[in-house]
Amino acid sequence: MSAALLETRALTLAAAGRTLVRALDWQAAIGERWCVIGRNAAGKSTLLRALAGIGEPGLQQGGEVHWFGRATAQWPAADAASVRAFLPQQASDRFPIAVGRLLELSIVQPRHDPHALLEALDAAALAERNVLELSGGERQRVALAQCAAQGAPLLLLDEPVAFQDPAHQLQVAQWLATLSGHALVISAHDVNWIARAATHVLALLPDGRCEQGPARRMLQAERLQRVYGCGWRVVEGDGGRFWVAQ
Amino acid sequence: MPLAGSRLAWFAAGLLATTLAVLALSLLIGSAGLDAELIRSLRAPRVAAAAGVGALLALSGLAMQALLRNPLADPYVLGTSGGAAVGALLALMLGAAMAFGAAAGALASGALLLLLARRALATSDDASPRLILAGAMLAALFGALATLLLTLTPEQRLRGAIFWLVGDLSGADHAGATLLAALVFTLALLARQRAIDRLLLGSEAAHLLGEPVRRLRLELLVGASLAAALAVASAGAIGFVGLVVPHALRLAGVQRTRDLAWLTPLGGAALLMAADLVARSIASPIELPVGAVMALVGAPVFIVFLARGTR
Repeated sequence: MSAALLETRALTLAAAGRTLVRALDWQAAIGERWCVIGRNAAGKSTLLRALAGIGEPGLQQGGEVHWFGRATAQWPAADAASVRAFLPQQASDRFPIAVGRLLELSIVQPRHDPHALLEALDAAALAERNVLELSGGERQRVALAQCAAQGAPLLLLDEPVAFQDPAHQLQVAQWLATLSGHALVISAHDVNWIARAATHVLALLPDGRCEQGPARRMLQAERLQRVYGCGWRVVEGDGGRFWVAQ
Repeated sequence: MPLAGSRLAWFAAGLLATTLAVLALSLLIGSAGLDAELIRSLRAPRVAAAAGVGALLALSGLAMQALLRNPLADPYVLGTSGGAAVGALLALMLGAAMAFGAAAGALASGALLLLLARRALATSDDASPRLILAGAMLAALFGALATLLLTLTPEQRLRGAIFWLVGDLSGADHAGATLLAALVFTLALLARQRAIDRLLLGSEAAHLLGEPVRRLRLELLVGASLAAALAVASAGAIGFVGLVVPHALRLAGVQRTRDLAWLTPLGGAALLMAADLVARSIASPIELPVGAVMALVGAPVFIVFLARGTR
């Protein structure tokens, strides 16, 4: 049996005297779309960064993150780039660069046609535009295209729809479902969006414990209450189920 | 709009033509007119030095901007000119060659910055604010030292020292060396153009794309310090070129390091030749300090560029 694309072994993450993730044993395989849920400051971004093999100042890490059975620290930077791509919460652009050129620069392993990626994310018209002039939502969709363009099988996306309007949130969810050759780990807050986008859910509880499983089983009212600390009502409607925080 | 394809080619051709026109004017115009022997023996070396120094300063600025991820950075922000000034003044007091003192000072300031920035460069986080602050503090320190040394300079040498601190091409001699160094530096940037373009996206982004960020930043710092040291050693502390040339090219729409790496030295050479032409001819026979002329002419142009707001 070949090693899993992404695996954590007793992964523990602590920062500022607080344990964010406690002894997490977990695997993600190609074709799976994992959503990481948890309260603000629960450690979602920290976990995604650890999964990407990039540290943070003040972070204490125990246990290991493996890609294809090999610890992240043992991957040379050049090889790691063809295994994982990471979408930070916000781009920090300082220099003018055209969107098309940005995508071209992001390619490590040619896997997707950059133009088709922009097309799928309603960003084809932006190809000639300067990134410094894009709106937050446009820049984020371009960043998503960048991530996929890198060609890595593991995509780690930190709040990929934070700046998207409802129509584009839907579009991004549908686009993520087409990325069948990738394993996705996504942090997000909107439970209704997660129900549409995710196949699996990893929940970070306030005490650092983690719960994991298929999305349908994980998104139950009692569990969501434990995760977020507020009540939940699940409404069965015409088009499916809807989650309302109370 | 990014400049690309035929529009970029026209832009480059225009810049090349401008540079050649400035070169021709610089060789032909001067206090002694069109004496062929004088042009060859006096004016040509000076014009060549202006071109080489301008190219080096502009390249140094381009590298510093990539290093610090700050479009307004240049070697002077990092204290290189201050270091060079202190070195030159020390050499003047000790009776050594000012040019060697300037080079030693610029390199020492680069090394000091490297030492201060060592931890920031070792991690892959975006160290720009820390590096800029370290550079600004070095510049302040060297500025204070230079002022202190200036008050101790003997009166008969004071005028030369001040003139030199502002930037002066009249005694520039290492023309061949500066031109050759500019060519080498351009080729070094071209060899790293894709990595530098990725570094401009952020040190973490570049790291995630597999670039050896730490080594690349070290190379940029050493290269930019050496280029600035050579320029300062040959013509004194001329500011503005390293800041304005790459920035103006970016405002015009040149975005890729592949294009900037050779358009920048071309623009720097043209700018400094033009400034020197103005400095030595506008109030002839009095020569104005080229550094002051550069700032007087260039700063308003730069402000207009900024006010237009096109990135």
